[in-house]
Amino acid sequence: MAYGVTQQMIDTFGEIVFKLSLNKQTRRGDAVRELDFDALDAARDETGLTDEEITERIGLLPEQVGVVRVFTERKHHKIDQHRRIYHLGGGKRWKKEAYRSPAERLRFNEEAMMLREAINFKPELAARYIEDGYWINETLNGWLADHAQNTPDAIAILHPGGEVTYAELKSRVDHLTNGLLSLGLMKSDVVAVQLPNTLDFVVSYLAITAFGGVMQTIHMPYRDADIEFLLGHAQARTVICLPAFKDFPTAEVMLSMKEKLSALEHVITVGDMEIEGTLMLESLMIEGTPEIDNPPVGSDPFLLLYTSGTTSNPKGVPLTYQNMMSNARVSVAEFKMTSVDRNLSAAPFSHLYGLFNFHVALNAGATNVLLPAFTPPDLAKMVEATKATTVFLGPAHATAMINAGLMDAHDFSSVRFSVFSGAACPPQMMETYRDKIPGTRISQLWGMTETAGATYCRYDDAADIPVRSAGRASPGDEVRVVSPEDGKPLPANTEGDLQVRGCSVFPGYLNNEEANADAFTEDGWFRTGDLAIIDDDGNMTITGRTKDVINRGGVKFNPADIEDLIIQHPKVEMAAIVPVPDPALGEKACCVVTLLGEESVTLEELCTLLDEHKIAKNKWPERLEIIDEMPLTPTRKVIKGRLMDKL
Amino acid sequence: MAEKFDPEEVKQACEGYVKKKGALAFGLANLETLERISPPGCGPSSMLPKVKSVLCVGVGGGTRGAWSADAKTLAYIGDTETMAYRIAYGLAFYLEAKFGYRSIFVPPDMDPEKGARVPMQSMKLHAEVAGIGARSMAGDILLHPEYGMMYYASVFTEMELPPDEPMPDNPCPHSSCVKLYRQSGQTPCMRFCPVECLSGSIGNDDKVAEMNYDAHACAEMSQQYEAIPGVLLDTLDAKDPIERGMALHGPENQVIWYKLAIGAGELLALCYECMRVCPITQTAPLSNPIARGAGMRQKIVEAEAAAKAEHTVEQAAEKGE
Ligand code: SF4
Ligand code: SF4
Repeated sequence: MAYGVTQQMIDTFGEIVFKLSLNKQTRRGDAVRELDFDALDAARDETGLTDEEITERIGLLPEQVGVVRVFTERKHHKIDQHRRIYHLGGGKRWKKEAYRSPAERLRFNEEAMMLREAINFKPELAARYIEDGYWINETLNGWLADHAQNTPDAIAILHPGGEVTYAELKSRVDHLTNGLLSLGLMKSDVVAVQLPNTLDFVVSYLAITAFGGVMQTIHMPYRDADIEFLLGHAQARTVICLPAFKDFPTAEVMLSMKEKLSALEHVITVGDMEIEGTLMLESLMIEGTPEIDNPPVGSDPFLLLYTSGTTSNPKGVPLTYQNMMSNARVSVAEFKMTSVDRNLSAAPFSHLYGLFNFHVALNAGATNVLLPAFTPPDLAKMVEATKATTVFLGPAHATAMINAGLMDAHDFSSVRFSVFSGAACPPQMMETYRDKIPGTRISQLWGMTETAGATYCRYDDAADIPVRSAGRASPGDEVRVVSPEDGKPLPANTEGDLQVRGCSVFPGYLNNEEANADAFTEDGWFRTGDLAIIDDDGNMTITGRTKDVINRGGVKFNPADIEDLIIQHPKVEMAAIVPVPDPALGEKACCVVTLLGEESVTLEELCTLLDEHKIAKNKWPERLEIIDEMPLTPTRKVIKGRLMDKL
Repeated sequence: MAEKFDPEEVKQACEGYVKKKGALAFGLANLETLERISPPGCGPSSMLPKVKSVLCVGVGGGTRGAWSADAKTLAYIGDTETMAYRIAYGLAFYLEAKFGYRSIFVPPDMDPEKGARVPMQSMKLHAEVAGIGARSMAGDILLHPEYGMMYYASVFTEMELPPDEPMPDNPCPHSSCVKLYRQSGQTPCMRFCPVECLSGSIGNDDKVAEMNYDAHACAEMSQQYEAIPGVLLDTLDAKDPIERGMALHGPENQVIWYKLAIGAGELLALCYECMRVCPITQTAPLSNPIARGAGMRQKIVEAEAAAKAEHTVEQAAEKGE
């Protein structure tokens, strides 16, 4: 160290040197007017000394005083003090509590930074979405705040417990935001939610995102192993859940996760049941307008959804406001949604589809009607009771209502527009549904967790389009079909691999390099894994899954239509065709079925059926497996990966 | 040897000179008092051994508009201290040229050998002793009852001139400040200092009894040069490339490099290639200062007048007048 100064000397003399120097000055009286030189001399230590004078006072060399002083000044230095200047003057008065340095305000946890690092868009695409006006600085809570201000008395939520205006919703969200902030949660922290479509879900979602948090959804049917994987992978800091769901002790299981997962700090339960170790949501309702240091902005991630994992472990899909808000905003006009609409989602909010239609209605300032859990009678009753005008549902929901005669028994006349998604929509069912509501319009929407609502039929589309296709790309998105062999785009009306690119497409999987390497083409098209056909007008029809394609000695075929035929067999409940290895052909088709009744079925019987429908022989399954229960995702898609593992 | 001059007349001439150049206040400080108050080795004679007089110049601070602007604007408008320096610099030459006495413009810089915030000379002390300002509760910023806040500069000369007296009364604290202090224990300056570096007390005589000033905190807040070494150390200590980049290129710190670049005469704004080929810059008749000096303006005015007259005649002819 310079001039023989040691760290010990700095530690010993630093503070007194600092104090004696002109860094700190005290003046008593008014020397120049009083000219009391003796008093002045006596007070020199206080008025501030030069290094030479300090030398005399404490017995160091002047050069050593310099070193000690400089290092101590550095210790006292608070970098960025001058930023305070930016908060002053021009009518602004200094208020200590009003200023916090950016370094203090804009803090992130390490786990949150990991999530933010997964937001990795192609720069040229991001620039395009911004230039084209799809990506703007908008957030969910920005929309809520606008409605609360402009139409405070409009009904935001209709739920079994009553109605909630936009002003009331904003106030509830504010209160819970205060509560969540009081737990020390910060921007981009993950808060997991396992709740049905209830007011608690909506308030939690909006409060989590209000302070910049990221909501991870956990599907209601998920149990211990799935939950542990999801919470662990997302590094969730908090979970909001029911005390229990059916026979599943949710809160107890979540509390046990706290032991296993170091990031998980809080378990919050809804309802009025006190459970030791958990916090009650109600107790986190703290009055007042939240002060948010690090407010969310358009480019922030705010949702962490997981793929349902039909082929592998669920993959984490972070989505930014720009992804989801742009998709919802542009869809409002396409669906002709307005503030007078009452929108009902039969799909759970834990899925992208449920959230998508919630966002669309929120953007429009419409009412979101909440159906906590789908049963065919509940959906029909809810439509009738609330006079819902737009309904987002799955084909299975509609089929169940039609089959049970519920659409005849209940008044559906308020429904002007119904959107179907989640699975293949049988044309017959679509037409029947439409016939049951005179004057109504229908649509099919196709999307994935990774793409949001990528294609859909418009409100004004010709009547045949939604029956046979999932419509055109959402504004800001593009879809194309490419050859599985060389990846080149295929002409219209040709089946191939479906790819999507656009403002709603996710930025990449969370912590999954392997999946990310396969997910996108060089020029940013997402490989959906679906097979599709796009007609001359751009209307897209899903025809199957790429991964389901069976390659039998070089002849590749999509087994989806064969599965549809086998399901029609009177003895079969569900069917899935998967490839099994074959030494000669590479792969062979194996049909896995569950039975409707006691009576078993044979491979020959199934092949006879296929023969009757003139299916080429090389597409017939060559093995049959009858199982008791089909492995299904919460959206009731067959998890073929699990079937293949078993075989 | 310099000629003999009437000191009062010289003093008046100096005052006339500086006021013509834009100074608001002028005074001479008592040298003895300065030597007695300054720390050892810091008085005027340490800089100019045969100094006989200390002349002080005060120039006005911010405009009313500046006082009502936001602090960032005010801080970057800075101050008029450079104007005070220019006037004092001229005064030193004036004294030498006109009266033949060696004089010196007092450099307004810190003394690198003396320690933290120790100036080579305290111009604040000079001005106060010269009676053109008085120390205030606000970190001893000098105030004047008529001109408010001023910037000061000094000149030392070997010519003996009669000194002035300090102002008999200190305008600080203002009566309204005393009132606020009695109510709240704070004066306005104390209350609104953003880094709380001011504190003190007012006695029963309504005068400042004690003034405490945390010059380190004040400088950190308002003098960016204080931050430069900190910025460089932060760069070395940065945890990752983004932090490192921000330490050097963050918008707040970028201003530092900008100002440094100006100081160093670096390339700043233009390469001028666009202007080099611009016909206006190349043909504008008065763009050349030599042309301006050579009476070109007059020639242009005359040429324009002639052209106009010709045009009028032509128009009249066309109309058949
Ligand atoms: S005490 Fe009053 S007059 Fe003195 S500096 Fe402070 S604000 Fe100005
Ligand atoms: S920090 Fe600002 S307000 Fe405080 S003493 Fe310094 S200049 Fe005055």
